[in-house]
Amino acid sequence: MRPLDEKETAAVFEKLFKFTGPNLKLIVERPAVEGPASDDPGGYCLRLQKNRVYYASESLVRRATSVARDRLVSIGTCIGKFTKGGSFRLTIQSLDLLAAHARRKVWLKPTAEMSFLYGNPVLKSGLARITEGVSAGDGVVVFSMSDLPLGFGVAARSTQDCRKAHADAIVVNRQADAGEYLRNEDDL
Amino acid sequence: MGKKKKVILPPDLPVIGDDEIQVSDEDLEFIGRNREYAGFLTRLDTKSIDRHVTRVADHKEDELESLYEKRNRKASLLRLKEEEDKLHVDPVDALPVKTLDGKLEYRTADKLKSGDRTSENKSKDDEEDAGGLKLTKPEKRQKLKKSRKEAKKLAKEQEKENIGEEEKGNIGEGKLHTEVLAKVEEDLSSEELFRKKKIRLAEIGLQLLENPEENIKALKELLQICDDEDHNIVKLGLMSLLAVFKDIIPGYRIRLPTEKETEMTVSKAVRQQRFYESTLLRSYKEYLTKLIALEKQPSVHQVAVRCLCSLLDAVSHFNFRQSVLVSVVKNISSLDDTIRKLCCEAIRSLFLNEGKHGGEATLEAVRLIADQVKFHQCQLHPDSIDVFLSLMFDEDIGKSEAVEEEVRPKKKRNWRAQDGLKEVQTSDRKKNKQEIMTKTREEVSADFKAVSFAPDSRERKRMQSETLSAVFETYFRILKHSMDPSTSRSHPLLAPSLNGLGKFSHFIDLDFMGDLLRCLKKLAGHSNHNVSSTGTCLSVSERLQCCIVAFRVMRNNLDALNVDLQDFFIHLYNLLLEYRPDRDHGEVLAEALKTMLWEGKQHDMQRAAAFIKRLATFSLSHGSAEAMAALVTLKHLLQKNSKCRNLLENDAGGGSLAGLVSKYQPDATDPNLSGALASVLWELSLLMKHYNPSISTMATSISTMASMDPAHSQVFLSTASPLEAFTDSSLEQELLKTTGKPTPSSYKRRREIGNDFVIMDPYKMGNENVVDEDEVRRKLEDHFVVHKGIAENERLRRELNYTLSSISLFEDYKREKRHKKKGKR
Repeated sequence: MRPLDEKETAAVFEKLFKFTGPNLKLIVERPAVEGPASDDPGGYCLRLQKNRVYYASESLVRRATSVARDRLVSIGTCIGKFTKGGSFRLTIQSLDLLAAHARRKVWLKPTAEMSFLYGNPVLKSGLARITEGVSAGDGVVVFSMSDLPLGFGVAARSTQDCRKAHADAIVVNRQADAGEYLRNEDDL
Repeated sequence: MGKKKKVILPPDLPVIGDDEIQVSDEDLEFIGRNREYAGFLTRLDTKSIDRHVTRVADHKEDELESLYEKRNRKASLLRLKEEEDKLHVDPVDALPVKTLDGKLEYRTADKLKSGDRTSENKSKDDEEDAGGLKLTKPEKRQKLKKSRKEAKKLAKEQEKENIGEEEKGNIGEGKLHTEVLAKVEEDLSSEELFRKKKIRLAEIGLQLLENPEENIKALKELLQICDDEDHNIVKLGLMSLLAVFKDIIPGYRIRLPTEKETEMTVSKAVRQQRFYESTLLRSYKEYLTKLIALEKQPSVHQVAVRCLCSLLDAVSHFNFRQSVLVSVVKNISSLDDTIRKLCCEAIRSLFLNEGKHGGEATLEAVRLIADQVKFHQCQLHPDSIDVFLSLMFDEDIGKSEAVEEEVRPKKKRNWRAQDGLKEVQTSDRKKNKQEIMTKTREEVSADFKAVSFAPDSRERKRMQSETLSAVFETYFRILKHSMDPSTSRSHPLLAPSLNGLGKFSHFIDLDFMGDLLRCLKKLAGHSNHNVSSTGTCLSVSERLQCCIVAFRVMRNNLDALNVDLQDFFIHLYNLLLEYRPDRDHGEVLAEALKTMLWEGKQHDMQRAAAFIKRLATFSLSHGSAEAMAALVTLKHLLQKNSKCRNLLENDAGGGSLAGLVSKYQPDATDPNLSGALASVLWELSLLMKHYNPSISTMATSISTMASMDPAHSQVFLSTASPLEAFTDSSLEQELLKTTGKPTPSSYKRRREIGNDFVIMDPYKMGNENVVDEDEVRRKLEDHFVVHKGIAENERLRRELNYTLSSISLFEDYKREKRHKKKGKR
């Protein structure tokens, strides 16, 4: 377990920034709610352990130092991993963090929810609502109509283009969805 | 009349009958002897002597003349009366009176009458009036005028004679008199001329209205009268010309005959008609040029503009409409309230009565206004843009066109299908049949179009789309201009243009939508970041209006896609804190609450909770009207989002729903990140004790919602919108208010802040227009009189001080001199 170096931090923040925009600051500076109640609760920090990036409170990190590196399976919330090629990928576990700070959101019709959870992209026909001002390539968080985060992805077209698009046009390309907890249980 | 009566007339000359003059023989002899001396007798001008004797010093000749006339008349009347009266009186009743001469006179009622001349006079007037009553009023007036005129003419002639005689007789006195007379004559003649012209105007007008074809030449004379120096005559002339033109202008556009046509021989009737039309057109043109020229003169400005406006209103189909429009539009943002209102009304009626001119004038007017806005760089009066609101667009025209356009690609597809068929090589006979069918179909449709005025509708459609594009061009120009940070001045046209955008939002093309929303977003969040840097700050109401318009635009184009306007929610969330009841308009806020929160269908749970919490805080810190609007919205939100009723529970923390933010942050700018679900609506328990009973009951009903099950609550969906609630309770407030109005002070304050030129606020405008112009003028006059007095006082004091100091200096100097002298001694 070690802190991220500069290059890695940049890669992680870049990915997060795609989804949260200026709210990224809030993620980093968020006061901790875990650990022993004290005057200084401390903040959250990012730690790298076996190619995975964890988002954990400082008090937890301090306590985790007593565990041997090869014995430590997980700490805090895993938000993504570095591939063998060195690029960073957000995983489904980061969904809660992203959903709370997301700038762009997409809401799905109840009929399209299952399709998305099976790993399919969001089609125009399944789109119930979309935030204004989304442009192609932005990171969006996908919600159900009852505001339950389902996953996230990258917008394939802007809000304006969505209006004119056909019903079977792809609006959001999936990156991760909550169905992965079942489908890829072993990998997570 | 009163003055004239005071003139003391000299006694009547003794009447000398011919019998009384007894020329004795001696006299005749004497004259015969001294013929040289007595020659003057033959040259004696008895008339002038008489006048000299009877003249009253320093009084106008004609007055005297009339007085004399009157006296004579009276005398004759008196005599008549006396005779009449005498008839009635019984001589037995009245004892005879012995006069000093020794005559016996029977006492009759004439004593009374002769004793009181004025009463006699009055009774005479009354008699005349009674006689006049039989005539109608205008007739009577005319008659009076005529009689007066005649009398004056006579008087003038006599005057001339008199002058001539007097010049002969007495040159020294004559000079004085001529001066006075000239002056009098001038006065009289101007008044006289005015009357004469007035009558002439009326006569010509009547003639023209009676038979315009024959009397069309009289228009020229009318126009000449309008060249008069007297402003009043010009005004009257313009107005009467307006009335005449309004009446005689035909319902079609006049096209002057070409040269070829004039060369052709035509029947008499046609020639007459042509002459009539050309004269009418020429004089109309002349009239217009005169109006436009006179418009620049301040004295007749208002009348000219009034004429132009009513011309535009009445004969918008006629020739030279363009020039009328240009001058009306030029005045549309005049500083003068009445002129501006007139122009706006004219333009508005032009828009509303499109049937009169077929929409062409609308297009022209809109384009002219657009140019005006461009030219003045958006610094105009809001009224000039407000007129767009009365534009009407027919959507059905567009629909028929759209259907046609839809048909066309289908046809193409058919052809493509036929191409495909060709490849398949179906039988030729079928193809022929199809071709024939399509041909006949086209023919039929062409015929149908010709009958059903289809090209007309297409023309109208074109015109309408051009009008729309001009309107939106203006609106977008204004938006862009107000976004420009380099212009530090306020934006008077922003509010009306936002209104217009809200109204016509369903016509906006989808391609513009993105830009428009970006614009609005920038405007709504204008003062968040760069108040300090640029100084341009839109008021809270304007920013709220931006949000409202964005929502309207979205809603009206909400055919397929439900778009979440998150940024505008953020702006509203922050604007709620910036709202000040005196400075900003509560109606706009209530409207914003209505369009954004109350009518919105779905909301994020987090966002809804944040808004609920903020609205509760808001209602706690503002007046009852605003609080009521906020509470109605709050209730609605709670009813829609059943999960948010956790806020009504007594324990803080929010449990699992609270999300990542575990503590409520009241100063967060983003509703999603405020963590409102972790808080408790403690404000409600305070509001339950509100002095206003309606608010306290509302708060109570909200706080009991926690125990309700969600299915049950649907029944209680309140129908009153925040806007209604706001107006209701603000009305209530007005009624409750006994003394002291807070509004004037706030207006005053704003006036101090506002720029001196155009007043930027439509709401304030409405209030200012109520103020009487005369009153304002009077008050200003008073103010300046006092001001002048103070200045004068100061000046005098300064002078006094100066003199005093110089005197004292001089005294000092004297004293010193004396001292020196003493010292020398």
